[in-house]
Amino acid sequence: MNFFIEYSIVGIASGGIYALIALGIIVIFKSSKTFNFAMGEMMMLSAYFFYAATVTYSLGLVAGFCVALAGSIAIALLIERVAIRPMLGRPFIAVVMVTFGIGSIIRGVVGMVWGPNDLQIPAILSRSPVMLGDIFIPGKTARAFAIAVVIVVGLIAYLRYSRAGVALRAAAADAITAYSMGIDVRRIIAFTWIIAAITGCISGVLMANVNTLTPHLGMVALNVLAVVILGGMNSIGGVLIAGFIIGWLEAVTGLMLGTEYREITPYILALMVLLVRPTGLFGTKEIERI
Amino acid sequence: MAAVLEIRDLEVCYQGVIQALSSLSLRVSEGSIVALLGANGAGKTTTLKAISGFLPLENGRVTRGSITIGGEDVLKLAPHKIVRRGIFHVREGRHVFSEMTVEENLIASTFAQRSPRSRKDAFDEVYNYFPILSQRRNQAAGYLSGGEQQMLAIGRALVADPEMILLDEPSLGLAPLIVSEIFEIIARINREKRVSMLLVEQNAVIALKYASYGYVIENGRSVLEGPTEDLANNQDIQKFYLGVETDEAA
Repeated sequence: MNFFIEYSIVGIASGGIYALIALGIIVIFKSSKTFNFAMGEMMMLSAYFFYAATVTYSLGLVAGFCVALAGSIAIALLIERVAIRPMLGRPFIAVVMVTFGIGSIIRGVVGMVWGPNDLQIPAILSRSPVMLGDIFIPGKTARAFAIAVVIVVGLIAYLRYSRAGVALRAAAADAITAYSMGIDVRRIIAFTWIIAAITGCISGVLMANVNTLTPHLGMVALNVLAVVILGGMNSIGGVLIAGFIIGWLEAVTGLMLGTEYREITPYILALMVLLVRPTGLFGTKEIERI
Repeated sequence: MAAVLEIRDLEVCYQGVIQALSSLSLRVSEGSIVALLGANGAGKTTTLKAISGFLPLENGRVTRGSITIGGEDVLKLAPHKIVRRGIFHVREGRHVFSEMTVEENLIASTFAQRSPRSRKDAFDEVYNYFPILSQRRNQAAGYLSGGEQQMLAIGRALVADPEMILLDEPSLGLAPLIVSEIFEIIARINREKRVSMLLVEQNAVIALKYASYGYVIENGRSVLEGPTEDLANNQDIQKFYLGVETDEAA
């Protein structure tokens, strides 16, 4: 039983990072109906930036993180400006394919620059385990969870209550009307790519700390797809709960049914939820007044 | 009186080939209400979109002519910049952000302000003209009645403190009683705040009642203009827009 609880907690903890990545996907989707399949690669690239800054150029952890963050934001803005903005108004699937392509390019370039092998980034999280009573939680996982949740909750609150958040929701709901009210919709879209770069950079560095750094680090974003579907594509608030559920489910099915099942159960759950609630658990239907 | 808005010889094409306006000229002087009358497809809404800069968003383009606001050419400006010059477009069909609260709808409009103004002052002014919005401020705008949504759409314009409001079909789908209530408030805003209005309205009776000057548009050009009392007595207008049987028609 203790075993089960420990696995559950570890699972929920990794769900915190899922929520962080999912948030980056959802803000972009909300503002421009672009599903960013390059999110995982953006996150992986951020981790390599952090590696380059701290190991190759021996910067301190804080300075290294700032450099990685600045690099991630620059790359995100470049992607938005060069590849995504010209595609605005094109069919959804065409834009999705562009983001897929960008993901492959990033993976390829990272492989060329840093090679395919595992790299070790400097430890930013303490290893010392956290004990909840007699339940053991690995130190890195617990601390990564705490950081992820603080960032996710902070961002959700910011998007909920700030003026920029109102502008984002206005641009998402009706771009032409948003323009008519002085909101520069293209700047809002660029702003959501910056948010995605921030969540990607933080989650990338955390993820590379908990696991190791390889060009395949971004593959975790595929698990996040289930989080996004489960929470609801248009629900910023839903990602946190959905992230916990998926993280927990993965860990528990890994324990009870074997690791080969942990990859598929999130999708089975997402599929079942979609059958009952097509908008996801927390997604809202649009209010239509006749 | 000085012109807030002047349009000269405007030609507009959609998708490069479909001509929506051929040669339209009009002028709105400071503090006046000007009505645009015309049948469906005559080019009234296109005129408003040309002014507010929406045409590029719908594959349209001004191919000839000029639009000036306070003497300054605005043809090349993006829509969010035009509204910050003081021309606020209240779109046809209201377009409130239905999932946001009434107050969030108003907050979104603060991006249109020309000069910084305290949120409280701006919202108090809106609630003064539309007290019902104050009671509903925390409700999702999608649950407001049609009339209340129109009030919110005009309220968003007030937040921006504009020089001029472009009103596209404010009476659309509303009960007659609500229509006159809203038009009384529009007239008050015009009088008290000296905001000019360019009004597109299917309901010619009400447009001629509240506007001081009017243009009749047919096939993308203005065919008739004049003070509204003259237009109201014009036989063609009576026949085609007011539905009055004249001797000639009989």
